[in-house]
Amino acid sequence: MEDLDRPHRIAWLALLAVALVVPFLVNFDLYLIHVGIIITFNVSLAASLWLIWTLGVISFAHAGFMGIGAYASALVLTKLGLSMWYGLWIGAFISGAIALAISIPLMRTRAVYFFMASWAVGEVIKRNFAYFKDFFGGWDGVFDIKPPVLDLGFLQIDFANRVAYYYLALFAVTATVWVIHRVNSSRTGMIYWSIHENELLAQHTGINVFRHKVICFTIACTLVGITGALYAHYQTYISPKTFDIWKSEFALVHLIVGGLTTVGGPVAGAISLTIVDELLRATGYFRTIFFGVVLIASVLLLPGGLETVPGRLRKLFQRTSGR
Amino acid sequence: MSDFLQMGLTGVSLGLMYALIAIGLTLIFGVMRIIQYAHGEMFMLGAFVLYYWHAEMGLPYWAGVAVSAVVIFGLGAVLQMVLFKPLHGKNILYSLAVSLGLVLIISGSGQLIFGTTTKGIPSAVSGGVLLGGAYLSYERMVISAVSIALIVALWLFLRRSVTGLAIRAVAEDPDTAALQGIRTGRIHWIAFGLGSAMAAIAGCMMGTLLSIVPTMGFLATIKAFMIVIMGGLGSVVGALVGGMILGMIDSVVTTTISGDIALILSFVVIFLILVFRPSGLFGQNWD
Repeated sequence: MEDLDRPHRIAWLALLAVALVVPFLVNFDLYLIHVGIIITFNVSLAASLWLIWTLGVISFAHAGFMGIGAYASALVLTKLGLSMWYGLWIGAFISGAIALAISIPLMRTRAVYFFMASWAVGEVIKRNFAYFKDFFGGWDGVFDIKPPVLDLGFLQIDFANRVAYYYLALFAVTATVWVIHRVNSSRTGMIYWSIHENELLAQHTGINVFRHKVICFTIACTLVGITGALYAHYQTYISPKTFDIWKSEFALVHLIVGGLTTVGGPVAGAISLTIVDELLRATGYFRTIFFGVVLIASVLLLPGGLETVPGRLRKLFQRTSGR
Repeated sequence: MSDFLQMGLTGVSLGLMYALIAIGLTLIFGVMRIIQYAHGEMFMLGAFVLYYWHAEMGLPYWAGVAVSAVVIFGLGAVLQMVLFKPLHGKNILYSLAVSLGLVLIISGSGQLIFGTTTKGIPSAVSGGVLLGGAYLSYERMVISAVSIALIVALWLFLRRSVTGLAIRAVAEDPDTAALQGIRTGRIHWIAFGLGSAMAAIAGCMMGTLLSIVPTMGFLATIKAFMIVIMGGLGSVVGALVGGMILGMIDSVVTTTISGDIALILSFVVIFLILVFRPSGLFGQNWD
């Protein structure tokens, strides 16, 4: 991460270090580790959605593509008997291939219409899982998706163990965020931001806007397909309802509360809001109400999201110390 | 033959109701360029106002519809002034997020306050007539008539009245409208309230046909969105045509094949429309 300045690099490494030692700090409490795993899934979902956002659009089909990865990996196990180590890549590949095929017509639409069209795509994906009962199991979903076992010869790791799965998920999310960061800080990432800023101008400077949009969408959906496969093998059960529009919308909420300009935004948003959500789990309907209040309040009172907090604090500190 | 007539009649009456919800949404988008995700929630609240007025307190039905429309008009106007005004001119994503938060708050507190049991509003009219082998209830006829009347009224309002012309001017070009002395802030809350009130009236109409629950708003939002994308955002004619297409698909495919396929098919139709006409059938290219 040579292109990050020092405070950022320290912050990222500190976050990773904390994530690595957390299981020891919580004394291997199974519930808290479960929350940790859910956080990793939400972070990769939000971060890969953010990659699409660098083009200036938000896809509501994102949870649907997570579902494609999850279903592909699950069916590879239950129908063909291949473990997750194959399912992961097959899921990612199928998710990416479908994303590629769909994004070619989808990317013809712009701005508001893209929101709507992607939302239709997400809904069709979900409905297809529900409709083809024989193949996808209908609304009941797919059961008994076993977590994999890693056999290194001298060492056997059974990922049915939650702590082991936590580290697997942590590895995956670190890789995902790293890939997204690398893409974003490369020349390609700058092209995405130029499309974000002004599509017409980008086109006039010789950028093949359409092709870049399709590729970016495909990368993001491939990444989220991996997340979906990991999700399926962790929960051991998936249904179409898991991947409905609300999941995409909550990812969007994570993005907006976290901030939209750097990849740190979705990471911060997903971590903090997943924790808040878990804390509110016992409160029933208040959970949804409170979530809505947090969302509106953060949009109106903290424009720019959580990622602007350090800057704001610094400003505040400088102002008070200057007087 | 009578089967087709029946499907056609159901499709038209369904389509008119859908159009009524969608026109409110398209009006709000056209004037303010925001996606009002909580539009279905207005529909739900409208139905509940009528429920408390008519079924709980026993007051007259039609007065209840008017009260519901006024209450939701007020609510919409207040929401616009408090929540959406500060976001004016920012990325559309922020207003989308705020309305998403509204959905969570309104449907969450709806389940808390109204309870999750299904409720029904007694119909204002009963009976029906056989028309060439197809049965048409008076209730559906009344609902269709009300929908048509409201759509025509809105159309006339936008074409003839001073406020309506101001609304269209703001939708066309806010800056120029402001230069002509139109108070755009005022137009914004009027349009928001008006759109919400249309949804509320649609809720009152639908409430007698279906049972009402606090979560019914989401389905209405989905339908309204599908119609608005098909027809093109900001276009009243588009909303009417889109409503008809969706009503027909719902009616014909649900009777001949199944409800699931009807939904999938309508999404596929939307997708195809967007592929060939990226701004909907009657839409403009908003940026």
